[in-house]
This record gives sequence, C-alpha cells and structure tokens, in this order.
Amino acid sequence: MLLEASNIRVSLPSDEGTALVLDSVSLALAPGDFVDVAGPSGAGKSTLLRAFARLVPGVEGTLVLDGVAAETIPAAEWRSRVALVPQKPAMFPGSVRDNLLVGWRLKLRHGHQPPADALLRERLDRVHLDVDLDRDAARLSVGQQARVALLRVVLTEPSVLLLDEPDAALDELSAAAVTEVARDFASGGRAVVRVRHRTSDGAATRRLELHAGHAREVGA
Amino acid sequence: MSDAGVIAIGWPQLLLATGFVLLVGVLSIRLSLGLERDLAVATLRTYVQLALLGFVLRWVFGVDSVWLVLGIVAIMVLMAAWTILRRSPDAPRGLFATTAAAMTLTGFTVTFAVTGLVVQVDPWYDARYVITIAGMVLGNSMTGIALALERVFADLDARSDDVLALVALGASPWEAAHDSVRTALRAGLIPTINSMAAVGIVFIPGMMAGQILAGADPVMATAYQIVVMLMVSAATAIGSVTAVLLSYRRRFSPDGVFLEKGLRHDAR
Repeated sequence: MLLEASNIRVSLPSDEGTALVLDSVSLALAPGDFVDVAGPSGAGKSTLLRAFARLVPGVEGTLVLDGVAAETIPAAEWRSRVALVPQKPAMFPGSVRDNLLVGWRLKLRHGHQPPADALLRERLDRVHLDVDLDRDAARLSVGQQARVALLRVVLTEPSVLLLDEPDAALDELSAAAVTEVARDFASGGRAVVRVRHRTSDGAATRRLELHAGHAREVGA
Repeated sequence: MSDAGVIAIGWPQLLLATGFVLLVGVLSIRLSLGLERDLAVATLRTYVQLALLGFVLRWVFGVDSVWLVLGIVAIMVLMAAWTILRRSPDAPRGLFATTAAAMTLTGFTVTFAVTGLVVQVDPWYDARYVITIAGMVLGNSMTGIALALERVFADLDARSDDVLALVALGASPWEAAHDSVRTALRAGLIPTINSMAAVGIVFIPGMMAGQILAGADPVMATAYQIVVMLMVSAATAIGSVTAVLLSYRRRFSPDGVFLEKGLRHDAR
C-alpha cells in the first residue's frame, strides 16, 4: 500500500469549543488509485485531505506511507510526499517560472536540480496554458492560476496527490486537461485523492462519500 | 547641569496651562465632539501620574540604591511588555513571557550601553541617568515593537493561502512566515527611521527641548539628542527582531501546521 490511513479522527475548534469533523475514517491507497471524495459541504472533505497531508493539528489514528509510520517521518518530508493542492490557488510575487519552482526554494530541496524550462513549457502546454514563463503570475486569470498551482505541486513528484476541487474555477476544456494530468499522475504508480463537486468525469477508480465526518466507500 | 537656568513653575502657571484644556473642553461641547469627558480624565491623569513620577524619582535619586534602580527598570520593562500586547490585538494570547524577554533584552542592553559606554556615568547605576534613559529607550521603542508584533500576525492571517501553499510544499514555519516577518520588521522600523530623518528640521525633539529650557547649551543638548535618537532606533530594532522571532512560531503547531483562523481556539 502507498498510503494507509486508519481510524482518522480530527476535532477542530468551533463556537462550542471543539467539533468532531472526521470520525474513524479509514482509507488505503494502492498505486494507481484515483479516489473521488464527495459529500455535502461541511462533511469534512477538505479536512480529510488536510489530515492525510498532516496539515491539521491533533490528527488521531494512524497514517502509514510506504510501510513507514507517520511518527518516524518528519512532517515537512511527509507533506512533500503526500502533497496537497489547496482549493485557493496562491500566487507568489514573481513570474510563472518563479511560481512553478517555489518548491525548490525550500531547504527541503536544497541541492536538488529544479526542472528545466523545456519541461516547464511542456507541462504548461499539457494543461492548455499558453503563457510565457516570464509572465507576471499575478496577471494570470484565476483559472490559469489554479493550473499553475497544480503543476507547482505535480512537478515536485510526490507519491500521493491530494486535490481540493482542482477544477472549480475552470472551463470545460481546462478542467479536462487538469483531470488528464491527475490521471497521468495516478497511472504512474502513484495515487490521487480528489474532492470534487462536479458530476463524475470518469477519471476516478474509487469513490468515497463523507457524511458528517463518516466515510463510506461506494462504487466508482 | 544646574537649576540656575530653569524658571520655576508653580500652581498659578499650572492652572493657567490647564485653562487651555478648558478652552478645548468648551470647544468640544459647542461642536458636539463628545470629547470633554475623555479630556477631563486625561488631564487629571496627566497631573496625577506625572506628579507621582516626580515624587518617586525625587525619592529614588535620594535613596541611591543599585537594587532599587534595577527593580524600577524591571518594572518599567514589564509595563512596556504589557502595553505592547495591549496595542497588538492580532497577536495570540500568552505572549507576555516572550514580549517581556524581548523588552528585558532591549531595555537593559541599550540603557546600560548608553549609560556605561556613551555617557559613562559614575556610579554605573546612577538613578538620574539610568531610569531616565531606560524610560526613553522603552517608551520610544514600544510603538515600533508593538507595530511589528501586530503586523506579523495580521500579515500571516492576510497571507494564509500563501502560507498554507508553502507549508503544503514542505516549507518550515520560518520559510512560510519569512515574508510576513520581513513586512513586520519593516513596519516596526520605518517610523523610527523616518523620525531620524526629519528630526531638527520638522521638529525639536522633546528631550532636547527640555534640556534647552532647563538651561543647557544647545550644542550639548544636540549631542545628547543624537545619542537618544540612535539608541531609540537600536532599541526598536533589537526589540522588534527579538519579539517577532520569539513569537511568530505561535501561529504554527509543533510539527509546523499553519494555524489559520479555523484551526485555532484563540480566535484573535
């Protein structure tokens, strides 16, 4: 198994003190898995992705990556291997290239060679982003920014990709391109977990439904 | 410096000055500014607090005890830390210890660097110099430090999408918070730098004005004022850097999760 999450419980601060957002959720991801997570808003979908990426405090339960328990993997390294693409795309000051290569500015990847321009251009083409690498990222449309934010993470080659509504801001053509990138990613011996509101696009191999913090696997 | 050049002020003169405040009070009533109550309280506090300060200082100068001087500076440091946190509504709770540590470092280092190395007072704990200079160091650096502390947490919240994206890519809290820390330190230091640039042209600073009124040679007063300006900016820098570096990590969990608004109990 790539990622094994067992009995994940997450409580988050609420007006009444704390609220149990996820209650004993388990999911095992094998290479090639593409899981869609559905459910009403407030069901805990985003929190589930964040728990997998160790991006919420106080996660209970066990997380195991490639047979190694989460406790023995430093959090920053874990997050680089179980990588979340947040719902709101963040653009940093600088060019499209700067934004794609943000991950290589971090201490975690010191000494690692960042991808060359040719590869960046090829990846941009694949998501129908016909923009210059030197273009100011702040001037991209929201849909373009969403694709840059996705590529920024895919380029770092994690084992598991967690997508929080990756195509919410995209038109049909771009949404299809983003799905294609995610499908390619999963077929390369890795796994994708995606929160998505739209009707099925046929990419997912499994489907998880969340209701009030409880998960139930249904057919793809 | 002797008292020779000082023209003594008594009750009649103080009351005359208070007359100006009464004038402002009348203005406030006529224009419905609603400030008369605040003005009255503030005037009363000015009288009471400064009178107390005057009597306490006179007593302390007479006692001439090293422990008393150090104790008073310590109380001033704690008061400064408390005031800074009160002025930083975006800062999380529980920062008193780190802010007090930052102000201790700032207050003691800069004060004793000035009294010991620049002015070279003898004895080194001479209350007249130590307490006065500590008061200026703490009082004038407080605003900048409060600004920096307030800004680092406000900026982290404003940039929460960016910070989350960075942490998700494997950034350490320092890497994720770096831009906010820089913004905060700039915000804290710029007013001091600006006032250094404008001093003497736009305004005569309070201490220099006081010394001249007390009969000091203007050039000597200038030398003191330069020392004061430089030490205030040093204190603001040391204090802001220490306070911000000791506290930004409070917005992250022990394993580096960024605690954005929905993830912390402390909704501040």
